[in-house]
Amino acid sequence: MLALARSLSRNRRLLGDFVVRDLRGRYIGSSMGFFWSVVYPFLNLFIYMFVFGLVLKVRFSDEVNKGQVALWMLAGITVWAAFGETISRSTNTLVENQNLIQKVVFPSEILPSFLCISSLINMCIGLPIVILGVLVFVNFPNLLGDPLPLAPLTDPAKEMSMPPLGLGWSLLALPLLMALQAIFTVGIGYFLAALNLFLRDVYHLMGVFVTVWMFATPIFYPPQKVVMEGYGWILAVNPMHWLISCYREVLIFGAWPDWLLLAKFAAIGVVLLFLGSRFFLWQKPQFPDLL
Amino acid sequence: MSTLTKNSREGSAETSAGTAIFAQDLSKAYRIYDKPIHRLYELVLPGKKLHREFWAVRNVYLDIARGSTVGIIGENGAGKSSLLKLLTGITQPTTGSVKVQGRVASLLELGAGFHPEFSGRDNIKLNCSVLGMSDAEIAERYPKIVEFSELGDFIDRPVKTYSSGMYVRLGFSVAASVDPDILLIDEALSVGDEHFRGKCINRLNDFRDQGKTIIFVSHDMGAVKSMCQWVVLMDKGEILEQGTAEKVADEYLKRAKARGNERMSAINRGTSAYPRWGSGEIEVTDVDMLGGDGQPAHAFTTGEAFTVRLRWKAHQDTKEPVFGLGLYRSDGTYVNGSNHEWRDKPIHLRDVKAGESGEVEMSAGALQLLQGQYYLTTFVYEHAKASPTAIDHREHVHTFEVIDPRRLQHGMLFLNSRWTVRRRKDGAVTSEESPS
Repeated sequence: MLALARSLSRNRRLLGDFVVRDLRGRYIGSSMGFFWSVVYPFLNLFIYMFVFGLVLKVRFSDEVNKGQVALWMLAGITVWAAFGETISRSTNTLVENQNLIQKVVFPSEILPSFLCISSLINMCIGLPIVILGVLVFVNFPNLLGDPLPLAPLTDPAKEMSMPPLGLGWSLLALPLLMALQAIFTVGIGYFLAALNLFLRDVYHLMGVFVTVWMFATPIFYPPQKVVMEGYGWILAVNPMHWLISCYREVLIFGAWPDWLLLAKFAAIGVVLLFLGSRFFLWQKPQFPDLL
Repeated sequence: MSTLTKNSREGSAETSAGTAIFAQDLSKAYRIYDKPIHRLYELVLPGKKLHREFWAVRNVYLDIARGSTVGIIGENGAGKSSLLKLLTGITQPTTGSVKVQGRVASLLELGAGFHPEFSGRDNIKLNCSVLGMSDAEIAERYPKIVEFSELGDFIDRPVKTYSSGMYVRLGFSVAASVDPDILLIDEALSVGDEHFRGKCINRLNDFRDQGKTIIFVSHDMGAVKSMCQWVVLMDKGEILEQGTAEKVADEYLKRAKARGNERMSAINRGTSAYPRWGSGEIEVTDVDMLGGDGQPAHAFTTGEAFTVRLRWKAHQDTKEPVFGLGLYRSDGTYVNGSNHEWRDKPIHLRDVKAGESGEVEMSAGALQLLQGQYYLTTFVYEHAKASPTAIDHREHVHTFEVIDPRRLQHGMLFLNSRWTVRRRKDGAVTSEESPS
């Protein structure tokens, strides 16, 4: 991990250039440019609101209004998008850049890192929108209408209540959350990038894997629901659930994150980064032969 | 595209001061797996061997002096590029070691890593930073790169709109701006138009004049000979021979001819498909070409003596048959045609009876054709009539290859020329001659 850090700092200029190139490359040639970074989570939000709210009628409780649900989902989508994008792109990044790896003495360890940084920066465009949404709904709680006009939930014990929206000093925890997210993400990214050279099927599996993981994480439905159905263990082993709930505390409820949960996440992230980068750097001399 | 390895690799204490590259017992084995999954099995189950080895480079010793220009030649698959990758440090050797002193730049592929959506300008900057240049270096060299590339307004357009020639020009311009001590080139120059190729060669000559080490990989003997004093001949991953350009060129030529022979005889086995017509009284049964040594051959060197020999057999009586030969370049250009009658001293062949047979030979002291593929057409015509009629006309009966190792002249034909250069200065005339 130290070797990785040294190499990244030595190649920081190249890393920066790659990040800039990637951010510009995302929307170069499209007329709306960076605006897509804003539009994209919203489009997703509308789709999932429609599916989960209107069609499947996933409900939180009688008191929770649509605005709260929307922001709750949006926070999850924004964080997940950065994570999912990084790990699926990392998997194929060595193959995509094989020209550089095979023809140039190239520090391939910057590849998963630049993808992670790029998508985190992209995420930083989405987060202010969530915060803006919180400000709006704090002042106009019923902007999107009352709690869903349905029959009241019959069993009050099953109600999944939600604290009121709010913003506070806890926003200061965001950089920490993002740093931990980066460590966790890039650790998985390093491992998958190297593994994909041994088994190219990994890349194809990733599409399914990321989707399954996303739906196993309470992004569109209340976590209590999973617990009630007896699948609580899924949440207990899903670090992304821990991370996203910390983000929600900070972003939309104005509360400090659950530090214990965050510490667990950090520990797992560090272990993954250690193992992932070890594996990556161990196999790195072979990369030109494996491509 | 090119690469810069900044510091000398593997230390420098053991090599002598005059050595730029020292390779010892260098070998590279690529692992070949029947199934991709076997690679993974091998990774998780150490000690299990599921691969076969392919030795791309084997036991190579190289000691390249600083400031020399070295050519590496060999056929496709001889291991030249693999060796170059080892010398650059892109791949790791299986055995042995490479010691390099100085900054290495390699032109293995021009423009690797260009992003198609970005403009030439942006790609230059990124490429430079991939090559390990600092911001200050990029700022300093950037205008020169743009100028060298001659891309004009295209420099601000996305690279995806470039023609392949423009792409290469941009790639070479970036690569040429690198200021290495050792330059490794892999046939990168075989692209682009004549004008730009000239510029590239000038740039290389500049490098050479500055006392930099150049290693040049090619299968084109002519290019290697014009650039390099020292040539390394590779075959099947091994160094077959190394020495002065002249010495190695001879060996290379021998092998090229042997290979040409093989290739051409394979072609000639399939030539029955070409048109053949005539009344058939006389049949040309065999057509052979003999080299300077009198042995049948399919590959010749420019300037070599050669003989074409036809064997014939008469099936019916013929009054006045004439044998002729046509020589064509592979693209169909008619190069030469002649027969034994239309000469200052003609040979007349009269009243050939059925059952007779014989040979006809045409030979020349020097084959004045330049590098290329050529073929022969044979004619037997009846000249007794007012206009000759075909007895046995065989198109494209024999294909052969001409190898021109010296590459002194270009085009199709070697002219045994002499050159004179005269100059007048202050009334005095000096003149220098290059005899034929």
